[in-house]
Amino acid sequence: MLGCAFMLDESLVSDVLRAALASGGRFAELFAEERRSTQIRLDDRRIEELSVGLDRGAGVRVISGDTTAYAYSNRLDRGALFGAAEAAAAASRGGGRVKLVDQRRSEPATVHAVRAPASDVEPERKVAWLRAADDAARAHASEVRQVVVSYGDAVQRMMVAGSEGRRVEEERHRVRLMAQVVAARDGVVQTGFDGPAALGGEELFEAHPPAGIGAEAARMAVTMLDGVAAPAGEMAVVIGPAGGGVLFHEACGHGLEADTVGKEASVYRGQLGERLASPLVTGVDDSTVPGGWGSFSFDDEGTPSARTVLFDEGTLAGYLYDRFWSGKHDAEPTANGRRQSYAHLPIPRMTNTFIEPREGDPDDIIRDTKRGVYAKVLGGGQVNPATGDFVFGIAEGYLIEDGRITSPVRGANLIGNGRAILEAVDAVAGDFDRRPGTCGKDGQGVAVTTGSPTLRIARMTVGGTGG
Amino acid sequence: MADRPDLAELCGAAIAGANGEQAEAYAAESRRTEVKARGGEVDALTQAASRGVGVRVIVAGRLGYAWAADPDIGEAANLFDAAREAATFGTPDEANGLPRPGSVEPIPGLFRSAVGELEPERKVSLALELERASISSHPEVRRVEEVMYGDALSRVAIASTEGLAVEYRRTDCWCVVSALAEREGETQSGFAFRVAREPDELEWEEAAREAAERGGRLLGGTKPSTQRLPVFLDPWAAASFLGVLAPSLSAEEVQKGRSLLAGLIGERVGSPSITLVDDGRRPDGPATAPFDDEGVPTGRIPLLDEGVLRAYLHNTTTARRDGAESTGNASRAGYRGVPGVSPTNLVVEPGADPPETLLGRIDRGVYVQDVKGVHSGANPVSGEFSVGASGLRVEGGTVAEPLREMTIASTLRDVLQRVVVVADDLRFFPGAGAIGTPTILIGEMTVAGV
Repeated sequence: MLGCAFMLDESLVSDVLRAALASGGRFAELFAEERRSTQIRLDDRRIEELSVGLDRGAGVRVISGDTTAYAYSNRLDRGALFGAAEAAAAASRGGGRVKLVDQRRSEPATVHAVRAPASDVEPERKVAWLRAADDAARAHASEVRQVVVSYGDAVQRMMVAGSEGRRVEEERHRVRLMAQVVAARDGVVQTGFDGPAALGGEELFEAHPPAGIGAEAARMAVTMLDGVAAPAGEMAVVIGPAGGGVLFHEACGHGLEADTVGKEASVYRGQLGERLASPLVTGVDDSTVPGGWGSFSFDDEGTPSARTVLFDEGTLAGYLYDRFWSGKHDAEPTANGRRQSYAHLPIPRMTNTFIEPREGDPDDIIRDTKRGVYAKVLGGGQVNPATGDFVFGIAEGYLIEDGRITSPVRGANLIGNGRAILEAVDAVAGDFDRRPGTCGKDGQGVAVTTGSPTLRIARMTVGGTGG
Repeated sequence: MADRPDLAELCGAAIAGANGEQAEAYAAESRRTEVKARGGEVDALTQAASRGVGVRVIVAGRLGYAWAADPDIGEAANLFDAAREAATFGTPDEANGLPRPGSVEPIPGLFRSAVGELEPERKVSLALELERASISSHPEVRRVEEVMYGDALSRVAIASTEGLAVEYRRTDCWCVVSALAEREGETQSGFAFRVAREPDELEWEEAAREAAERGGRLLGGTKPSTQRLPVFLDPWAAASFLGVLAPSLSAEEVQKGRSLLAGLIGERVGSPSITLVDDGRRPDGPATAPFDDEGVPTGRIPLLDEGVLRAYLHNTTTARRDGAESTGNASRAGYRGVPGVSPTNLVVEPGADPPETLLGRIDRGVYVQDVKGVHSGANPVSGEFSVGASGLRVEGGTVAEPLREMTIASTLRDVLQRVVVVADDLRFFPGAGAIGTPTILIGEMTVAGV
């Protein structure tokens, strides 16, 4: 191999950082990584593809004033590292000088143990996991028409060193198994999905056996075949466990990311300490969650993982910072500086974002709702951080009629405004669940988890085709 | 990167070990610059150099794949062994196979030396000028969320045991403007995008003006009441819908029962007013290339001809499965993946009239300039959708006050059937490949707001 992120010796890293600061700048950083991955795809009962990959690269960042210069290549040798440092230096424009501090290696406070690394598992066993999910999905119901199962694991070894002397290294193991099912009956076609994931190894499948993943995706697709057209209009919406976390992430979390706040594009700007949500809402971002898909020991700038309270019983309590914005706003970094890879600049990102459970039976919330929609599973969503306006698809939803969950509804989505919705939360139960996902922002995808108890929005707009 | 082996050499090394197996090496490299600006300052300047190789091996119908970032000659050869091992786990499929070499015609003007010669200082000033131009073009736009100028030089080489050995290079540049319009505590963002082969051809001033205008005209919006109305989809909104339709045009989705256009070749699936082609060779197309991602020459494929479905898009594998010819639509996410099927430049043929003339034909309707949640709110298999939208009311043949928090719900098939007329204002947007569409007038859709 040409080079490995862990093998970069201290004097080389110091020399690269010195070169990066040659034309000025207040901060320089070298990020290097190597990532080995396996992907397997099963479609229509066939293993279509098994693919193995080796990615690697390094990027040099120089900050001068408010300007960030970044240069990267996918090589880790001395010449390439200096080339990147010189390119970043050339693009930076003075803006003060710092003295390079000798590097001290930081040890992690939070270690995410991997019991059974997927990288040690023979390909035959991995293929068997996909087969088990496929078989279970097909056995679930005769309406199941198509099953796609995809598997991915990756080991990422990263190193980040900054001109202020911080150097960290981390090895991150991630594994995910996803099943997508298409079911059809009498010309009606519906889809279902399940895809647990973890920062960890094969132990993921103790809590989520592959067969259960296939069966769950099939159950969702078949259930939705009985769906009626979703109602349109304003009504009470009860959101199932985990789903409220998606809503919190999309409609609120993005507006709390410090770059959005700093660019004056957030409705939450300058409102710390204000009561902006229902007192039932306590929301956190927590990268220390053991085995969480969005967890790590250090963020991608070397800040130790942390738990940040965003809303404390309805009061805005914190923003999510990377180094750049914490420096600019004179705030503590919150370990939210993340990047998809060496090919990307770190920016403020969520990790595992939860609305915390309170007390009470979720069934009581349903019983207490005369008419509305129960959004058991939310699909993807989109939000405009400047306004907080959002749209979420409902992947699995039902009508609530006279305090009971009745017919499934199809083609529904939830439309609203993040701030208004958080104020309108009028019930939060004591249950809790979470789901992994990939969050996209500025063209970068990172692993995140969203979680919540069952909760109710007193009134919000449901978009559907029915009356 | 003068000290690195060239792409053709890497491809040769990666397939040299084949002994009876089919093997293909795909190598790509690019140099990219992006400048983001805001508040009169450069936010970020990124310079990237990347390259890599992916090797596909087919043994007795079984497929395996291995890839690496920037391998040397020895590592490229090792990729062959890794891909051959991966192939032992695949399920045999007669459709797996590599294309025979075709006659690849170069595309004039695809590579412009101007992009490589442009000084970083000029790229920085372009980004700063973009912001200034956007702010100065609308009184209620005083800042931008972000503006960006970007360009790329890229090169692709493919070689295979079937005798294929092809190579091309291309330049692209683009700009993105997201302007913020503000009035009395309300903020609306307006977006515009342009793409070209070289900076002199990039309509960046128009993008700056358009983003400001799109943000500004949404200020003071109200929710509409629920009713059925004719709907104009502007090019950006129309492109969002086409992005959801695009997978259904892929033979791969058809073969797997995931296309809402399956089994409908020769049938009328849209109104006579819509003609849709996939054109991998048009000089102004962002996704233009002389050959696709497995080396098959690109072409011009009529998909909907005045509403009648004429073809699906194929790569070599889907074509072998159907006993058809590849249409030159193999597509992959760089060297990291095996080829799937994707449009190149998916283009709605423009009509004769500007959008203003078409607006004049409608007494009451809605002009949609942005749809949100298309990928979550639209089901590409069933074609049902209900998406959030913002835009303007149409009254007496012209655009009137803004509308927000509305939803439009229908099915993709219904939208195709109800196309009334297509305007002449063709624009390209990034999509799976690229999507080019003018403003489209749809007969009637349910517009909800409550």
